[in-house]
Amino acid sequence: MNGIQKVDTRALQTNRFSKLLSSIGIYAIAALFIVLGVVLQSMGIINNFLTTQNMMNIVDAVALLGIVAVGMAFITYSGHYADLSAPTTIALTGIVSVELLRFGFIPAIMGAVVVGLIIGIINGIVIGKFKANPIIWTLAMSYVSMGVIRFVWVNKQIYPDVITDDPFPVMLFDNIYRFRFFNAISLPLIIMLVLVVVGQFILKRTAFGAQLKLTGSAKRTAKFSGINVELMIALAFIISAFTTTIAGLAITSLSRVGAYYNGAGYDFRAVTAIVIGGMTLAGGRGSIIGVLGGTLVIGLMNNIMTLLGVGTFSQDIIRGAIFILVVGINAKTLRSMGRDDA
Amino acid sequence: MMRKNKLDKSKLLALGDRFRIYILFGVIFIFMSLFAPRFFNSYNLTTILRTVSMNATIALGFTIVMICGEMDLSIGRTATFAAVIALTLQKKFGYGISVPIAVLAGAGVGLLNGILVAKIKINSFIVTIGTMTILQGATYTITGGNSVSLSGDKVFAISDFLAKPLLPMLPPRVLLTILFVVVFHLFVSNSQWGRNFYMVGGNRTTAWLAGINTDRITITAFILSSTMAAVAGILFAMESSAATLNMGDNSLMYVVSATIIGGTAMSGGKGGILRSVVAVLSLEMLYTGTILFGFGNEVKIFISGLILALVVLYEAYASYKHEKTIGQRAVLLEELAQAKEKI
Amino acid sequence: MKKQVKVVLLAMVLLCLGGLLFAQGEKAVGVTGAGAAANLEASLKVDTSVLKAADGQPLLRLSSELPKIPTRPANPEALPDTDPLRWFDMEYAGWDTKKTNIPASPKDGAIGKRVVMIVHGDHPWTTACSNGAKKVADAYGMDLKILSPNWDLAVQNQMIDQSINERPDMILIIPLDATTAIQQARRINQSGIPFIFFNTLPTAEAMNYAITWTGPDDFGQMRKLAKVFADEMRRRNPGAKELGIAYVQHAPGGSPYFARSYGPLSELAGYAPEVVTLDMQAPGFEADRTMQLVSDWLTRFGPRLKGIFAADDSAQALGIIEALKKAGRDDIVVVAAGNSKIGMDMVTDGSLFAITYQTAEGDGALAVQTAADWFNGKELPNRRDIPQHIITKADVADFYPPQW
Repeated sequence: MNGIQKVDTRALQTNRFSKLLSSIGIYAIAALFIVLGVVLQSMGIINNFLTTQNMMNIVDAVALLGIVAVGMAFITYSGHYADLSAPTTIALTGIVSVELLRFGFIPAIMGAVVVGLIIGIINGIVIGKFKANPIIWTLAMSYVSMGVIRFVWVNKQIYPDVITDDPFPVMLFDNIYRFRFFNAISLPLIIMLVLVVVGQFILKRTAFGAQLKLTGSAKRTAKFSGINVELMIALAFIISAFTTTIAGLAITSLSRVGAYYNGAGYDFRAVTAIVIGGMTLAGGRGSIIGVLGGTLVIGLMNNIMTLLGVGTFSQDIIRGAIFILVVGINAKTLRSMGRDDA
Repeated sequence: MMRKNKLDKSKLLALGDRFRIYILFGVIFIFMSLFAPRFFNSYNLTTILRTVSMNATIALGFTIVMICGEMDLSIGRTATFAAVIALTLQKKFGYGISVPIAVLAGAGVGLLNGILVAKIKINSFIVTIGTMTILQGATYTITGGNSVSLSGDKVFAISDFLAKPLLPMLPPRVLLTILFVVVFHLFVSNSQWGRNFYMVGGNRTTAWLAGINTDRITITAFILSSTMAAVAGILFAMESSAATLNMGDNSLMYVVSATIIGGTAMSGGKGGILRSVVAVLSLEMLYTGTILFGFGNEVKIFISGLILALVVLYEAYASYKHEKTIGQRAVLLEELAQAKEKI
Repeated sequence: MKKQVKVVLLAMVLLCLGGLLFAQGEKAVGVTGAGAAANLEASLKVDTSVLKAADGQPLLRLSSELPKIPTRPANPEALPDTDPLRWFDMEYAGWDTKKTNIPASPKDGAIGKRVVMIVHGDHPWTTACSNGAKKVADAYGMDLKILSPNWDLAVQNQMIDQSINERPDMILIIPLDATTAIQQARRINQSGIPFIFFNTLPTAEAMNYAITWTGPDDFGQMRKLAKVFADEMRRRNPGAKELGIAYVQHAPGGSPYFARSYGPLSELAGYAPEVVTLDMQAPGFEADRTMQLVSDWLTRFGPRLKGIFAADDSAQALGIIEALKKAGRDDIVVVAAGNSKIGMDMVTDGSLFAITYQTAEGDGALAVQTAADWFNGKELPNRRDIPQHIITKADVADFYPPQW
């Protein structure tokens, strides 16, 4: 008998509204924060929230985080959680670039990029080809990098203007972070926006992005459909190392010192931004625009809390709670739409 | 007869794989005893056992969570949190009341983690990052930004008692740790609950279909993890009669590394309590050795990374070989191998 | 399985047996008799006052006058934060102690003595501190060993135990935390080895067990800095009835957290009552987070904010200056606790108004010098503070090249 075909209505729901919601989801939360800020402002509790200056401050503050998060998002998208070697990559590329500043500005940048790419390639090969666990491997990598930094530079920190007497490369280096177009828009911000646009394009509109998505959501299927899964994963780690190198140069430029402690904490902060922005750790879901949204939400949260005068300790509690809340809501809505793999 | 040899060799390799951490332990111990200055004497070994007690206790609970296939990143901060509560309340109520309250607080954190992971179904990596941050803020708030210290004869008496060897080379804190290790080991390897952890970690859906209450197992695992972290932190603080605000922060990576090196995989379903504890001991002997040799901290960090990297590569290689044999029948493989020999 | 439990128990028994059989330790080597007198004479002749630190300043500066210590209030914790005596226990720890079981000096000179120095962790500051210590140790021919636990308390405890096992002639230690120092002190004291705390003040209780403490007087420096800070704010805002300031704090959990915020706060309450504290936050030692914090402060307080007091003159100060530059607020007075190269550069170009002189080399050197003085039989005060100095644009050039 031609059975009555049971139609899975949940599949039908994933049309316009839920697709819209899941793609702008994080911006809904960002909008919520902005509304909260406006309300508090109109109630007189805080002031100057909705000014250009304040908004510019927020994006400036999270530009560096955004750069790291955009790259690491490729790793999360491929289902490999995160890159815990990001902080030491920042420190290593930074200190290498300062050390090479004695040969000029371009060699310094090139040196940092080379070092970053090496780390990315090693990560990519071991995790992609040898299928090592990404969290543990990148953790091991971070220890090894840190050991190398401390061994070569022996707990000293190096300064750009001490390494070389020529003021020109020092000035260029200093301006990596400090240069502003029209005196308002900083270079890291521009870089972040460019990376977001390029990253979104790569993720959503190229074959690589589509293949990465399949790798993230169903690895074995991807392999059997002829995708070179190992190459995809390796490329994801290389992209992450590349953006981390850029962030490393910017952070070292800001700190005016090459040191082993630059970049501490960026691994968990980036994961927070990525996950708040809608990418699930299981992989294959989310977008770079979402990551940008996640970064902005973090900036908004910090901004509103400081404007309100919330104490440092309480800020930690609130940050952790909001993080769990946002991710929980995301997971629940995904599940109610029938996607159990969140 | 050739067939028998082959079987022996593969059996030996399999045994070696299971017990590799013990082999590593033996190698490190013998190497350090022979070559590291001032390593092999009762004083140094007692110091090692004392230093290891905190991380070994934390590793007990953490291993269970890993066996279930989850991660608990909040263990370090939970240890600090519980220690701070125990010492802060001691001033008013004494250890008799403050310690149980602190342990309960630790268990509460575990309950929260477990519910968020099992019922709300958020990834444990995320949940424990969140609780980590919350606990830091909570700890700072309780102490107002200062560390907590106690003084007075009674407190010092307790701290001295915990630190001085009762049996040769075994002070009470170490004895307690050994007791915990034995209890947990028996619990995990012999009881039904223990086996359930492995099943939930191995394949959650199958375990659920087999009638195991996977939610309850997961929540229990997190409660155990946070409780043991709390106990470890409390004991450490009692011996120092002080609790600093970041005392537990180094424990996280230490315990994670040790558990992985000991053979518990992040995918779950594999591993053991004793192996994690032996791994903690091995790492500690290695670190102590670097200090005794006079090496700087960069060597210690580098070696940690190297060992972890080697273990990860080894695991990857093992699973690569395993993948190769998926779907292939053992008998056919043997026949193929024999045929190759004949040629 | 039961078999594995048996293995564990067997291992325990073996360990105990091994402990009984192998109880070992090293004995200290002492100089006796005529050798001692000659050693003492030679070591008294050593003149360390000519030694210089990397920045060209004298390595050892000792102030001969003892500061005036107020009487301890009955319950400092009950006082308001703005009362300087609220912070008595943290600020004046060690002046008034009941020394317990302190070994007597052998009075046989410092030459050839084995000294173990346990610092707090790896950092360029600590490298400079070790350099200063080595300079004095070399002058006296001491055998100095430096151990770093890399900010890990369990490792520091382990290093203490290992050092006790080696039985050196003296232990110099920077306690990782003032409160845990008590047990560390008791343990070393019980072993009979003389020791000196330095750099980080432990609680008063811990000081009972040590010979003495040397180091910078953080609270004192901050109070001095606060006065300089207030004077400059008054100069830039003549006649202002309210001067709003904000504190960028040190990381919580240690005396700098309190010394560098509540120290100046309690000082300004008396010295410049028109100064109003608008906010206090601890963003960590990262320039970008500090930058966001200060930008938000500017948004929140606007022209009310006249000054910023920072606990760190490198990463935090950089973030502050970046935020101020963005907003064009160069009227705000910024001071910080120093002194790193970055901080001194900013004092030179005027963005930072003043920093404190925290000689890293001098810190380590003073500790070793105090050890030498003890070996020479000198009478030591309960505390030896490094003299305070505030660096401003007028004299910052004297402190180059920077120690770290």
